[in-house]
Amino acid sequence: MDSLFGLSMTTIMIVLVSLLAISLGSVAYVALRNRIFFAMGLRNIPRRTAQTVLIVLGLMLSTLIISAAFGTGDTLNHSISKQAYTLLGHVDVAIEQDNLATAGDSEGATGLDIPSAQYERFRTAVAEAGSSDIDGVLGVRMETVPVTNLDTGLSEPVMTLTGLDAGALAGFPDVLSVRTGETLDVGSLQPQEVYINKSAARELDTSPGDRIRIFVDNKPTEFTIVDVVEDRVLTGVGSESIQQGLVTRLDTLHQVFGHSDLSFIAVSLTGGVRDTLDLTDSVELDLQRLIRQNRLALDISSTKKADVEFAELLGNFMTTFFLLLGLFSIGAGVLLIIMIFVMLAAERKPEMGMARAVGTKRGHLVQTFLSEGMAYNVVAAMVGAGLGVLVAFGMASAMGAIFSSGDFQLSIEPHITPRTLIVSYSLGVVLTFATVTFSSWRVSTLNIVAAIRGTEDDRRPVQQRVTQWRWVLLALPAMAVPPLGLWLLCRKGLGLAWSSWWVLFSIPAFGIPPLGLWLLLRNGFGLPAAWIISWGGLILGALLVVSGMSSDLAFPFALGCSLFAAGAARGLTHFLKLPHRPVFTAAGLALLVTWGLTAGGRIEPLVGVLSGDIEMFFLSGVAMVTASTYVLVYNADVILAGVSRLGDVFGTILPALKTAIAYPLANRFRTGMTVAMISLVVFSLTMMSTMNLNFNELFLADDSRGGWDIVVEENANNPIPDLPARLREAGSTAPDGFRSEGVIGRAEDPYATNEVRQGPDGKFDSYLVIGMDDGFISASNLPVDHHARGFESDAAVREALLTRDDVAVIDAFAIGSGGFSENEYGFSVSGIRERIRVFDPIPLELRDPVSGQTRKITLIGVMGEGASSNFVGLHIPLATYKEVFGDPELSWHYVGLKDSSQSRHVAKAIESTLLTAGVQAESLKARAEADSALFRNFFYLMQGYMGLGLFVGIAAVGVIAFRTVVERRQQIGMLRAIGYKRSTVALSFMLETSFVTLLAIFSGVGLAIWLSYMLITSDEFPEGASYHVPWLQIAFFSAFTYLASLVMTFIPARQAASIPTAEALRYE
Amino acid sequence: MTTPTGTDGHYPHAAIIEAIDVFKTYDTGRVRVEALRGVSLAIGRGEMVAIMGASGCGKTTLLNCLSGLDVIDSGRVAVDGVDLSTMSDNDKTEYRARRMGFVFQFYNLLPVLSAVENVELPLVVSGVSSRDARKRALQALDTVHLSDWAQHKPAELSGGQRQRVTIARALVNEPAIVWGDEPTGDLDSSNAAEIMDLLVDLNERHAQTFVLVTHDHGVAARTRRIIRMQDGRIVSDEPFGAQPTASAATETI
Repeated sequence: MDSLFGLSMTTIMIVLVSLLAISLGSVAYVALRNRIFFAMGLRNIPRRTAQTVLIVLGLMLSTLIISAAFGTGDTLNHSISKQAYTLLGHVDVAIEQDNLATAGDSEGATGLDIPSAQYERFRTAVAEAGSSDIDGVLGVRMETVPVTNLDTGLSEPVMTLTGLDAGALAGFPDVLSVRTGETLDVGSLQPQEVYINKSAARELDTSPGDRIRIFVDNKPTEFTIVDVVEDRVLTGVGSESIQQGLVTRLDTLHQVFGHSDLSFIAVSLTGGVRDTLDLTDSVELDLQRLIRQNRLALDISSTKKADVEFAELLGNFMTTFFLLLGLFSIGAGVLLIIMIFVMLAAERKPEMGMARAVGTKRGHLVQTFLSEGMAYNVVAAMVGAGLGVLVAFGMASAMGAIFSSGDFQLSIEPHITPRTLIVSYSLGVVLTFATVTFSSWRVSTLNIVAAIRGTEDDRRPVQQRVTQWRWVLLALPAMAVPPLGLWLLCRKGLGLAWSSWWVLFSIPAFGIPPLGLWLLLRNGFGLPAAWIISWGGLILGALLVVSGMSSDLAFPFALGCSLFAAGAARGLTHFLKLPHRPVFTAAGLALLVTWGLTAGGRIEPLVGVLSGDIEMFFLSGVAMVTASTYVLVYNADVILAGVSRLGDVFGTILPALKTAIAYPLANRFRTGMTVAMISLVVFSLTMMSTMNLNFNELFLADDSRGGWDIVVEENANNPIPDLPARLREAGSTAPDGFRSEGVIGRAEDPYATNEVRQGPDGKFDSYLVIGMDDGFISASNLPVDHHARGFESDAAVREALLTRDDVAVIDAFAIGSGGFSENEYGFSVSGIRERIRVFDPIPLELRDPVSGQTRKITLIGVMGEGASSNFVGLHIPLATYKEVFGDPELSWHYVGLKDSSQSRHVAKAIESTLLTAGVQAESLKARAEADSALFRNFFYLMQGYMGLGLFVGIAAVGVIAFRTVVERRQQIGMLRAIGYKRSTVALSFMLETSFVTLLAIFSGVGLAIWLSYMLITSDEFPEGASYHVPWLQIAFFSAFTYLASLVMTFIPARQAASIPTAEALRYE
Repeated sequence: MTTPTGTDGHYPHAAIIEAIDVFKTYDTGRVRVEALRGVSLAIGRGEMVAIMGASGCGKTTLLNCLSGLDVIDSGRVAVDGVDLSTMSDNDKTEYRARRMGFVFQFYNLLPVLSAVENVELPLVVSGVSSRDARKRALQALDTVHLSDWAQHKPAELSGGQRQRVTIARALVNEPAIVWGDEPTGDLDSSNAAEIMDLLVDLNERHAQTFVLVTHDHGVAARTRRIIRMQDGRIVSDEPFGAQPTASAATETI
């Protein structure tokens, strides 16, 4: 991987290594200048081995997650680029027919057939140019055909027959014998001979000498297999889904198919397979110049360099995707580090007090903690980076297996670059260093007397309002940062090219002014914290609410409401002296409701439309979990009161239960942090599971298939005008089970030949256009979610499609619905809001960029999302399609069965009956299930990765448990003295863990179910979408979290139970 | 081997605690400390005894061994006629819960529970119903004049108040024996005197056995018998007849 977030990985590495050097240098400075404090820090490490191990584990988790994300990206990048190099071989540039030649203002696309004359002129032009960078130009024709092995009887409905120009093979040594590894000469093949590639040979169980039969226009042609060759683009690997292929001479293919066109022209650059990328750009320019000069209707359609860059892009995408997914866990990891150091400080408070009493400065304490923290850190990051690599390999392999189960064939090869390891390690160390420094600075603040005596700190007296000019001077530059943030956001983020990464980067810049303001008001002018928080929250909150409402953005609105509520709560308790508990509880609940309602679009009747993207998932999750944790921990004593009231119901465990609840409540910070960590990860897992299940249900619903059971896709070379007649003709009784049958027509490469625009002044964009025959329209039961005025029911839409030739319906993805991003197919419809079900009819215009033929139509409906996954495209009557685009190149037959449960069986029967025609018949339900399984498995992988965060929470539970044994040693002695049995002491610890973990699990699960319910039942989803909860999955990871927490507590609980009572009572 | 003797060669009351030739050694690997070297004694029912001695003489170890908090290396400790060495850990724990109360120098209250919850804890452990436990805990707090502070957490109480909560906790299950390890060690003189007045009063009214470990002569002066220890041995065991008042004790202190 060479770049991330638009920055070169080398730059990132240099920056991080510099920061790493600064981090290590800081500790080295401490070691050299204040050796005693360095030693104090290090000597703490072996004091408690188990705790040290747990701290290292806790600290390594963030690095592990980071390293896993980078490693996954590296592995995918490597595997995909390797596949690109392997499959493309010496094909460096592909040239196709250019549509621009026929429609000047078209977006332009390639994909039509290249007449042989164009090919010859191009070859001549290249030869005359005499470029030393080009060592081969090869004409290639690819056709899909059904193939039968006459010796084994095995058949394949779709294989790619590739014809290579035998006279132009120089520069393309890509037809390699599997047996000998030598390059074979296609030119030596006789007219009835072919090579078969490895994938096809495996499917047909063929070997050299076997006879095969292909069908073209329903007529058989036989070939002899001469040899088995490696899978390459030039040996028939046509796409990710069609790997099986045959290769023969171009003239042989032309003879069989009765034409002389080419699919593309392959250009090989001088050099081998991997060393030609640097030449690509200059050769591309040369070729374009040649094409222009010779007035050829050709254009460069793809290059090896672009494919390799795509691999890089996908690797980047995966890295950033998993880094984003890991943010919850990394955040939880940071919380864990803070908590660990707060606890270490609590443990050593008397020592620190003593040290301060004898003259140690606060900075020295920071140095001591820093030394200790960095010692843990250096080791932990190393372990984390190593384990992260293993996790990455595991994830990449899982991804490979998942993709292989679908159409996309990808072999995954574990790969990690040293640069990635350095970046992961440095990032882990630097992140932990920053957290440790912050934590050390926080914990070094102590009241010396209280620390020595082990008593509670006195509350800090309110500072007098004295202006401290050094703080004013420090704060003012921080206030100047907003212009920089604004500039980054506008220029880089929202500017010329939208970049969410720059938006993400620039937002922290907006975090600096509040910090500057705080420093100015609090430290500079000495104003009370409550005063600043209340007024700051109210003013900033109000501004954000107004900004959100005016820009229709959900995030600033919800954030503004949150700040306003927090400011109001602080103001009410500070100025009006209202009691804290009801006020802050109310504020917490207000936040919960605000974020939930905003994310679910329920607040829109009050404040108008608010749009949000994937960030709302993360932000509402964090906000809701924070609010919920606050409310729960603040009010959990109600549970204790309930337990006390119920009393005897709990029998002999009551004493253990009471202390188990009382202790966590006595340390709300520690409990709150642990609850937040676990809750955050459980929330994200539940949310993903629930959304996954509901999307699955949506796309697997019966109405998503529009009343059809089977789709029969024709082979373009073997058309079937009448499916039932053809089946009967072949002796099949399958048509007897047909309830309905309809046909849609489409282009083989619609993005080259179908264009649509909205309104008379709009720009034509590529979009798939489908022509529906009357049988398809009348028998279809496609649910329409958005209706144009005058066509307010599904029946009205269907009737219009049957009786008029100027109306159309489109899939939901064209209006930007059904996902987190806009439609990426080119054309999209504006003017239809997802949540408003009726719209004014929208005028559209169709165009065939080749013929220039146009036609005005009216959009009268948008299909539901479930149906849209099966019926993508702009659907118009077949007659209208023919009028604009001519006869469709492909016909897909849809069949409704009398008994839908037989769809798999009937599809198989149709395919085997019409094998020689190369049809592919598939049960729509089976297809939906297979697609859904693919996504489901990918979701599981994501969940597994996010589940790593659970270990952070579980480690926190363990750290706390070990710590509390030390902390409560004397109290445990007392409890044993007054009658607590060993088992009761142990039980108390286990119950304490149970209380915290279950509180977190219930909070996370509850919030996720509520939020997902709000989303699924919102207007963004199709009307009547039912809500499902994956209880089994939720139960699984909840139980795992709970049991793992108990396992973590088991050892400390046993330690606590076995403390000798008399010794414990002596302990101070 | 020494034999247990009473104040004047016989026990004023039937012996509730009996120790015969008790040895206890702490071995940390590097250091070996002989904390008790053949201690024998008997304490009668209803007695109020002070165990005194310099720091490290073994008085707290003796208390721990007599109360079953710690195990002895050799010898015999019997409480109410039952040899502690024959009791399992659980039996000893249950016995402590029902028959013993403890007052420690540093209070050892659970900071996370209120005063009344701390006091009712031994009852809850013994299986007393919640309602009864609460009622008796409030009564115990009333006995130590802390009814108004029942809902306060330890951190919100003064040192004297905390020690009174500890005493209430020690007495709430009406134990036969109350063990005190420097019960006034963390208190100022006025609070210490008040606590001792309270303990003496409880001893007289309820006839419970009080064994107090202390190095404070003022505290010892309020008891009826003083056992002095040195280097893990009892060096004297004498009756102490005087019962100075609180003010006299304060002066002594």
